[in-house]
Amino acid sequence: MEDKLMFIDPHVHMTSRTTDDYEAMAAAGVVAIIEPSFWLGQPRTQVGSFQDYYSSLVGWEPFRASQFGIKHYCTIGLNSKEANNEALSEQVMELLPLYLYKENVVAIGEIGYDDQTPAEDKYFRMQLDMARELDMTVQVHTPHRDKKAGTIKSMEVCLEHGLDPSNVIIDHNNEETVKEVLDRGFIAAFTIYPKTKMGNERMVEVVRKFGSTNIIVDSSADWGVSDPLAVPKTASLMLKKGIAREDVIKTCYQNALDAFGKNGKMKETHWLKPTGVDQSQFFQDNSVLRGQAPRVDKDQIL
Amino acid sequence: MLVSAKIFPLVSKHGTEDSVKWLNEKIDKIIEQKSGRDLFLTYSQLATKFDVETKGTFDLQLADGSIFERAATALEISRMYLLVKVLDEDTIFFQSKVATIIEIADTGELVTFLKFIYLLPQAELFKNTAVEALRTNIAEVFDAITLNNPYPATYFNDQQWNQMYLKAAFMERDLSMIVSIDTRANKELTRIISDYAHERWAATRKIDPLFWRPVTKFLNETLLADMMQLLASDDIFENRAGALCCFNSNNAEAEKLLEAYPLLKEKIIANELTWNTLKN
Repeated sequence: MEDKLMFIDPHVHMTSRTTDDYEAMAAAGVVAIIEPSFWLGQPRTQVGSFQDYYSSLVGWEPFRASQFGIKHYCTIGLNSKEANNEALSEQVMELLPLYLYKENVVAIGEIGYDDQTPAEDKYFRMQLDMARELDMTVQVHTPHRDKKAGTIKSMEVCLEHGLDPSNVIIDHNNEETVKEVLDRGFIAAFTIYPKTKMGNERMVEVVRKFGSTNIIVDSSADWGVSDPLAVPKTASLMLKKGIAREDVIKTCYQNALDAFGKNGKMKETHWLKPTGVDQSQFFQDNSVLRGQAPRVDKDQIL
Repeated sequence: MLVSAKIFPLVSKHGTEDSVKWLNEKIDKIIEQKSGRDLFLTYSQLATKFDVETKGTFDLQLADGSIFERAATALEISRMYLLVKVLDEDTIFFQSKVATIIEIADTGELVTFLKFIYLLPQAELFKNTAVEALRTNIAEVFDAITLNNPYPATYFNDQQWNQMYLKAAFMERDLSMIVSIDTRANKELTRIISDYAHERWAATRKIDPLFWRPVTKFLNETLLADMMQLLASDDIFENRAGALCCFNSNNAEAEKLLEAYPLLKEKIIANELTWNTLKN
């Protein structure tokens, strides 16, 4: 990272990550992150579990990130998998409006389809209506199975509900879906996965072919095998493979800021003029900045 | 005069005309229809109507004649006005609604609520939230209830007060910013202070000299030994803390200990050395 670029990872589930990750991300140049609300690997059975989860995304997790000089934002929504529990979903839908104006909430997300069931469809549409009513950005999760059809359907439903495609980020794209997304005027985010799916070598080729407009790189790192350094590593690889620096900046920083900064909560001044990592904010039993900062010197996603 | 009526001029002063008008209309509707939902939405939308970057001061005279003064943003003033106003109008109906708002607060909202909790009608009803804030690991939330805040001294019982005081020391907060340290001193707290000090000394770690202040009126045998240690310490601030405790103790033995340190005693008599100037 000799270029000292700044990065934004607009999709990373830090709740599931350790402080080692925060430390490494900060050292690699990540200045801000967006944590979409999602499912936690095991379905929740009580609305209170959702409430406490959302509260942690607007409370504890931003504090944890701040200890490493990283600015934390989140998106709030009912994810597609858990939308299939309709009785619970009704209660969660009532809860959502209470969180959408919190100080670090930048969008409604991640919402969309998983198995493309009727229940998923119902709550996706309800949340799109909410987004239109409140003029909020939307972060859409696209299905892992039947991806292309699911991605196209997601976009069609967004348009049907009157959303401006430039205010909708379609996530988890690949070479097969990107053209459809860009052609319709939506923003295309790519999750860089280790081992399977979209790797960063492929990402370089996507940028080479489609350019940097409306394209965003993210890690979607969570409780599974994933890499919270995917954005800086991909940026580094892009530079090595001859992608122009300005295109790297757009895909790994600026486009995310432009897309998620629309409601005014996410501002560059938050990290360009930081109050600093305030040591007085550390509690003794919670002082985490002791170890050596891990370095990022590999471009390879393991 | 209701507290909300005293806050309203501050809302007008720090908000735009349109925002103030919007808020008044919303409040009329909330109160008239007794609508929790409208209260939640209005509270949420305040962030879009009142600027978090407009700095101001929350200063008003309370019913007991005391002056309440704390820095506040336009958004903080508007949030507190809304909560105080609906509670002024109908505490029974709105208490649980306000509790819900607090339960789902983000960090900034919680900090605001805790900083100004003293202004709420029947503020004691919200003691659980205040005590829960002592358990947080988020420093600004802990500071909001603990520092420059008259609420703990007014409403906390001894156990809660002591928990707050010890944690503030443990977290190395500025103890001089805790309100009413002398009046809330109690015997159990002095035992805790001495135990904690011994623990720190055993680990050869420093203690904030201000930490000793509450033991002043409770000097028993153990604490007199602690005083001797403070007075004989290499650390001038510890000497000063020991001297201040002994001087103000009304305890003959402690006063005798201080005789060996005439310079410190003179400074205290001349009012040059106080708990406020100890670290100068």
